[in-house]
Amino acid sequence: MKTATIQKSDLGKAIDLLVQADLRVVAPRLQPTLDGPDDIDILMFQEMKSGEGHQIGEGILTHNGIKEFLFAKHEPLFAYELKGKKVEITPVHHEYPRTVILGVRPCEAASIPSLEAVFSNANAGFEDPFFTKRLERTTFVTYSCTDADASCFCTSVDIQPDDSTNSDLHFTELGDGSIHVEAKTQAGEAVASILEPLFTGEGDQAKREKMGKVAVEKITRLRDKAPIRAWLDENANFDDEMWQRLGEKCLGCGACTFECPTCHCFDIVDENKGTKGYRVKFWDSCQFDHFTLHASGHNPRDWQYKRYRNRFMCKFKIYEETFEAQGCIGCGRCIRGCPVNLDITEYMAEVAHKAANPAAMQADPDFE
Amino acid sequence: MSNIYQPHLMTIKNVIQEAPDIKTFHLVFQDDKVAENFSFETGQFAEYSAFGYGESTFCIASSPTRMDHLECCFRATGKNTNALAALSEGDTIGLRGPYGNRFPIEEWEGKDLLFIGGGIALPPLRSVIWNVMDLREQDGRYGHISIVYGARTQNDLVYKREIQMWDEMDNTTMVKTVDPGGDGPDWDGHVGFVPHVLEKDFAPKPDNTIAIVCGPPIMIKFTFEALERLGFKQEQMITTLENRMKCGLGKCGRCNIGSTYVCIDGPVFKAEQLAALPQEF
Repeated sequence: MKTATIQKSDLGKAIDLLVQADLRVVAPRLQPTLDGPDDIDILMFQEMKSGEGHQIGEGILTHNGIKEFLFAKHEPLFAYELKGKKVEITPVHHEYPRTVILGVRPCEAASIPSLEAVFSNANAGFEDPFFTKRLERTTFVTYSCTDADASCFCTSVDIQPDDSTNSDLHFTELGDGSIHVEAKTQAGEAVASILEPLFTGEGDQAKREKMGKVAVEKITRLRDKAPIRAWLDENANFDDEMWQRLGEKCLGCGACTFECPTCHCFDIVDENKGTKGYRVKFWDSCQFDHFTLHASGHNPRDWQYKRYRNRFMCKFKIYEETFEAQGCIGCGRCIRGCPVNLDITEYMAEVAHKAANPAAMQADPDFE
Repeated sequence: MSNIYQPHLMTIKNVIQEAPDIKTFHLVFQDDKVAENFSFETGQFAEYSAFGYGESTFCIASSPTRMDHLECCFRATGKNTNALAALSEGDTIGLRGPYGNRFPIEEWEGKDLLFIGGGIALPPLRSVIWNVMDLREQDGRYGHISIVYGARTQNDLVYKREIQMWDEMDNTTMVKTVDPGGDGPDWDGHVGFVPHVLEKDFAPKPDNTIAIVCGPPIMIKFTFEALERLGFKQEQMITTLENRMKCGLGKCGRCNIGSTYVCIDGPVFKAEQLAALPQEF
């Protein structure tokens, strides 16, 4: 497709057009979290009935991720009814509306193939039909970052602020109130054709490239990912003193895992009313103490630091090795959301330091 | 598209109280088509559900050479296992599976086999014990079979009548033990922990023998050490692990030991595979 430009001031109208085309539209909007004088508005991906109040391209990241629109927070898998000695199972009707998610940041878009690697049949031949159907019917309109905050570190995990690798349709602000639009897939072109009445001309590739780099210099949290995998592959480092020292303050609240775009753990339980009920799958967290608790009372991850070690290893080793996908996408949500300032990039820095100075670490046990 | 989370419905054909809190179910599929198409291999596991309570992970405790019904054996410990234990003949449960890998029994042909289990860990071994015994009966493809099995007390031993059968079987040695203090006046077996009884009382020779171990993580550790002192090499030792699971499908993120998912890559692991894993199980 040819590129195009659209005015930033027309993005509300863009949402209106998509809604009129019978698409479910999800976009960032401010949501009040408290009533009264201490109102804090937080940026949330929400379903939009019109373009009013949208915040596409504003702020750095939404509080919630796009994950919940693919991998539901809470989802009935089937219904059952107990009938004496018999049980009847019936499928649950799920709606899979055609959905467009607008304003997805490039870091977060990198989580889409990661979740797909877990839930699709590429993973041991078992396909989660709920996830894959939603993914199939969702179009991602991504939006280059031209700003960064102190928690952003996408460039340290090989993602660029203007990355369009995982986009269907990609937007980049050109700095003069207009936005460069490029379609990357057929689904993206279909959305572009709906937005066509709002296009004000052709895109400007040169300017887009230049604007796409603006945020790079604003990212101050820079870490070296390269040595991490090899260090984690070394079994002896599984018992390194670092895990306990850095992980000691972790409260095990699980906030990092719920906000993380690539965290995929879930629980399965039965929810009943009388003899009828649903088997339900919902988000769980590897940070909870019961997560790996055996019936016998044995718990392989019996200390909180071990649970955080698992999380770090999942992001930098397990995702790569088991699912052949990227674990950490550098969005920084886990850093912003942690109540005790546990910082995944602190682990990254320490691992890089240990990998570079194995002897020094042994000689200096007080290294902080 | 099929729903990977939806279980097959099964009828409980028979219930056996194996030990205090431990029951065996004999299970048959309610749908004949499912029954016809269902197959599994020894060592694989399944998710069992009491509807309204949830799902639990147990091995399939019967042998694929005996497909008249499936068997599971479990201890009533949590919400779902207690609900299962409250069911009786004719009731319906759910089963998803089979999942995971299997025991490589064709690699053991022509060898002697030594099974070592503790407590509620005999059921996974019992599937493969009957599997190799049935094949041995057919064409003698396995040699001498020894079974070392222990529980806390005499009462806690599962498959008591089968222990008796194995004890009387030709070309088979049955070594049973209970923890110190677990023996009553009529106890005719050993007294002592499994690894100790294995090493000091039974002391099997490692020649041309494969040792198959199942038990709690601490028992596996001490049993492998005892086997090594008896001269067994890593490649002669194999085990089956169980970690807490929800999906059994490599997705829910619970059962991993490092990058190894017990539900997909296991539950059966050779000793050398286990040694290469981070020690978190």
